[in-house]
Amino acid sequence: MFIDIDCTQEKKYNQNTYGDCFMSKRYPEKGELIAVLSDGLGSGIKANILASMTATMLIKFVEAGRSIKRTCEVIMNALPVCKVRKISYSTFSMAQCNEDGDVKIIEEGNPQFVYISDGKVVEPEFTVIDSETFKNRHMHVYKLKLKLGDRLVFCSDGVTQSGLGNPELKLGLRRSGLIKCLLEKINENPDISSSELSKNIVRIAKNTEVDRQAKDDISCCVIHYRHPRKALIFTGPPYHMEKDRHYALEFQQAEGKKAICGGTTANLISRELNIPVLCDITGSVGKLPAVSKMEGIDLVTEGILTLTRTVEYLENGFKEKEKNAASELMDFLLNSDCIEFMVGAKLNQAHYDPNLPIEIEIRKNIIKKMAKILEDKYIKKVIVRYI
Amino acid sequence: MSKIQVKICMGTTCFVMGAAHLQELVEILPEKYPDKVEVSGVTCLELCSDASKYTNAPYVKVNDDVIADATIEKVLKHIERLLENGQE
Repeated sequence: MFIDIDCTQEKKYNQNTYGDCFMSKRYPEKGELIAVLSDGLGSGIKANILASMTATMLIKFVEAGRSIKRTCEVIMNALPVCKVRKISYSTFSMAQCNEDGDVKIIEEGNPQFVYISDGKVVEPEFTVIDSETFKNRHMHVYKLKLKLGDRLVFCSDGVTQSGLGNPELKLGLRRSGLIKCLLEKINENPDISSSELSKNIVRIAKNTEVDRQAKDDISCCVIHYRHPRKALIFTGPPYHMEKDRHYALEFQQAEGKKAICGGTTANLISRELNIPVLCDITGSVGKLPAVSKMEGIDLVTEGILTLTRTVEYLENGFKEKEKNAASELMDFLLNSDCIEFMVGAKLNQAHYDPNLPIEIEIRKNIIKKMAKILEDKYIKKVIVRYI
Repeated sequence: MSKIQVKICMGTTCFVMGAAHLQELVEILPEKYPDKVEVSGVTCLELCSDASKYTNAPYVKVNDDVIADATIEKVLKHIERLLENGQE
């Protein structure tokens, strides 16, 4: 199973930074994922520091296999003390999940997560661990076995308390209100992505607030177990020409969506598989060659220029008015969960001609950069193979 | 009467060396020589990969002739010559 995870956040009104912190890390070799949502005391920079420290330390300690009880003591002792309140404080929810559906959740102070299975809310059992040094701090530990389609929703209290003081919702949205919104949305669209669902909840929470001004930082993180959406990108001709056919067939027989990035690569696949390439030259947008069409292939683009621009968009966001080949490639990547790159290692001498008006990077380096951004920023599972 | 085939390379090297401007041929040629010329883009003519022979991108192919350092004027001139020589 694939773990689709995403988090949406909204800053408290008038603050310039988030007081909640979401962090997550995948361990592809273990098929595991750790995610933390932490809420720092207060708001703004101070809260951000407390929350970021908590989330970072939790991930590091859990990664190292330390006991959670000891970890939390260390974190509480390490956090800076708030000048106003004379305490160091942050709350958190942490989930450690693997692809078989085994999930361990630890909560401390955050609203209880919502576990949704088959369109219904499940209230699982938990054990309580008390802190030795901090009297009023208790951790709730859950061990769950999730199946395909199940969801876990974590929120900061900014969601459950949104609308507090609103004449219609005297106690705010509360957990019951959150559950109602979640079930409605899932019922409407059972396959809704974690990204969409979390965005939706944050939007609802903000709209519930008086004057639509968030009184607290609002964060919502969704974990969804589902079939992975696979994508395969073939870029660059293989180092040994005699293997062209072998790799072309492998590409054809692979599951999931497919893209080709590179003119020579498209020609190679076309020749080996006998599929014509239809090149449209009327549609070159944004100083990039237009996309071409090949039957059975979802996207065909030029190589280096398009890849370089895609990395730029992945890093800084797409801000142009018109869609182009690179933005199409970005959408292709972001709508997939497991992304595999088949990177041909053959170099084209002409690309390194010093007379070329722009600098062209080595394909391997661009893909390396792209893979890292997809893994770190977009939490995708990425495999890169050099061929 | 077979049409003259004009193929514009849209590969990386040709594109950065000016093939982006050659795209205008798509509008110019059918207007100037209706029914005589067919223009299309190709993902890559794969000429530049032979660096010992082809170092003058962008390339355009008119029938089987390779035009190096291609410009709109050069392509038009070549087509004119073919038509004069009774290519049709």
